[in-house]
Amino acid sequence: MTGQAPAPLDASASGGARVPRSARTPIGEYAFAAVCAALGVYAIVGAGFIRVPPGSASVLGPRVFPYGVGILLVVASLVVIVQVVRGHRGVPDEGEDVDPDAPTDWVTVAKLIAFFLSQLVLIELAGWPIAVTVLFGGAAWSLGAKRWWVALLIGLGLGLVTQLVFGGWLGLSLPAGPLLDWIPIFHG
Amino acid sequence: MDSLNALLEGFATALQPQYLLYALFGVFIGTAVGVLPGIGPAMTVALLLPLTYTLDPTGALIVFAGIYYGGMYGGSTTSILLNTPGESSSIATALEGNRMAKAGRGAAALATAALGSFVAGTIATVALTFLAPGIARLAVQLGPADYFALIVVAFLTVGALLGSSVPRGLVSLGLGLMLGLVGTEVLSGQQRYTLGIPTLSDGIDVVLIAVGLFALGEALYVASRLRHGAVAVIPVTRGRHNRMSRRDWARSWRPWLRGTAIGFPIGTIPAGGADVATFLSYATERKLAKGGAKAEFGRGAIEGVAGPEAANNAAAAGVLVPLLTLGLPTTATAAIILSAFQTYGIRPGPQLFETQAGLVWALIASLYIGNVMLLVLNLPLVGMWVKVLRIPRPYLYAGILSFAALGAYALHFNVFDTLILLVIGLIGFLMRRYGYPVAPMVVGGILGPMAEEQLRKSMAISQGDLLYLVHSPFAIVAYATLALIIGLGVWLKRRKARLESTPTLVPTGAITAVDEREPEKS
Repeated sequence: MTGQAPAPLDASASGGARVPRSARTPIGEYAFAAVCAALGVYAIVGAGFIRVPPGSASVLGPRVFPYGVGILLVVASLVVIVQVVRGHRGVPDEGEDVDPDAPTDWVTVAKLIAFFLSQLVLIELAGWPIAVTVLFGGAAWSLGAKRWWVALLIGLGLGLVTQLVFGGWLGLSLPAGPLLDWIPIFHG
Repeated sequence: MDSLNALLEGFATALQPQYLLYALFGVFIGTAVGVLPGIGPAMTVALLLPLTYTLDPTGALIVFAGIYYGGMYGGSTTSILLNTPGESSSIATALEGNRMAKAGRGAAALATAALGSFVAGTIATVALTFLAPGIARLAVQLGPADYFALIVVAFLTVGALLGSSVPRGLVSLGLGLMLGLVGTEVLSGQQRYTLGIPTLSDGIDVVLIAVGLFALGEALYVASRLRHGAVAVIPVTRGRHNRMSRRDWARSWRPWLRGTAIGFPIGTIPAGGADVATFLSYATERKLAKGGAKAEFGRGAIEGVAGPEAANNAAAAGVLVPLLTLGLPTTATAAIILSAFQTYGIRPGPQLFETQAGLVWALIASLYIGNVMLLVLNLPLVGMWVKVLRIPRPYLYAGILSFAALGAYALHFNVFDTLILLVIGLIGFLMRRYGYPVAPMVVGGILGPMAEEQLRKSMAISQGDLLYLVHSPFAIVAYATLALIIGLGVWLKRRKARLESTPTLVPTGAITAVDEREPEKS
């Protein structure tokens, strides 16, 4: 920080200014805005398929609000696209743990998504404690934890404790899984 | 005196051992996660929503109130001791508090922040106690058109129009409204936007929206640009001379009171919550400072910590006024607390003080109790929180992901919810990545269905006459206020931008020099 010009504390407060971060076309920004606009189109088209009960001509039917939402999405997304074309790029969020100079690390994000997706299979197949072990251990490893086996052990501990507290004590029906199913304290 | 009696009854409930424990649990967790960087109160309440599946309503709401207040206290510790700005409402504190800590006066900064939060929290809770029942009595007379007006005000002010980019805020709002549309339409009973998936016919649970956007989305975003290496925490030197001196007290108490006076009213109106309040308080203190204190601004002025911290907590209490009396959340956190009410089938609003009087007053009483607990947790035990700050980030974010997964699965014990959570989390990640605010989306998702209901009710009453929406004086006042708030917001934004460009941040080396000169002056 020494001797630097005071950086704006909250970049968003400076009004989404023109940030010539890179000369490349911001494909991601266009894509996201385009998807939002497409969702708006879907809302409008979908609204047309909602049946309007007969005899409610003067009263607001079930279509009007969806039409409004669709139009809002389409118009707002198009304005964002126009702004991006003109050079008004979005200002990424800031936070204590966010390195403002780091490029987006898509590999880590992909790993995290993969580990999160493993829940879809693991929770019901192997039980909650195992699923959490995999999610916690995998996520910590993806984020750069120094020793992967420590991460796995913490994950297992977390899985067992949450199973005990939420499944056993608070009575949520979390599946303990085939490995632990015979232990009575893991059930509510 | 009615509300005094009711409050005493509330205390009788809240002081029962089990509720005291819930309150302690809430403020403890709240402070812990408030201290943890990257986790704000919104995310915490979202992550702990699963508690509502098992606790009774009073217990759960006492826990959430504790988390809500605790998160506000904890945030200041982070911003004072970490080198990077934290949640938006405590950035003003970060400026001065961080500089005080660097100059070796961290303990005094932490103390004035905790005491200021306590003073402001208590005064603001007293104001809430006496104001809320009156407002609720007035609000009973509001019709659907008035509610629609209030919701529109909330939509447009919570982020959408007060954020940095208006179209991005509106896209975010639209996405939230879109999520709210999914499910069975109330009046005609048909399904909308469910893609033929039976699970979606119940709609997308607000828990998934809140946890997905705040917990999962935030964790993915931080993961994508994680600051690697050791966590830089400024050490707090213990000792007699580091505590708040008599002079610090003399310089703090007026900013505390001024901060409260600024924060509470701003919290009660839908004007962007604590964020605006802290900046106004900071600007006020800077303007009012005289002599040596004025020169200290930008180098670690204690007034610049005391005022904004008080304003922050007072605003947090103020936010509860519209939430409890009108059912109107004015911040993302309040929107999530509202969804916790909804889980129990309780609808905050004017009737709440009559139908659920016991619950509301126990909740308000627990706010007083929580404030006292927080003072104890934050003054003598601050060393413990400093340790929490050092949790290695990989484990922290892995833990957040695990609790997010728990919250989604425990909702209906169906992994389909886990999938929806992941999709919403990805949207949240991309929104942060491309500079869209997430708060409007949460508010849109929670208030959207209510907005449609009130709009259609008004249209049914008026037989389709749109003018009915502005027929009552209340609605006219609401829309006029909206225009005023937008104008004020633009003005505040300019002011904030100016404020950020002016403070002369002296090199860190010079801070000690300034501080050494100080004893001669006093």
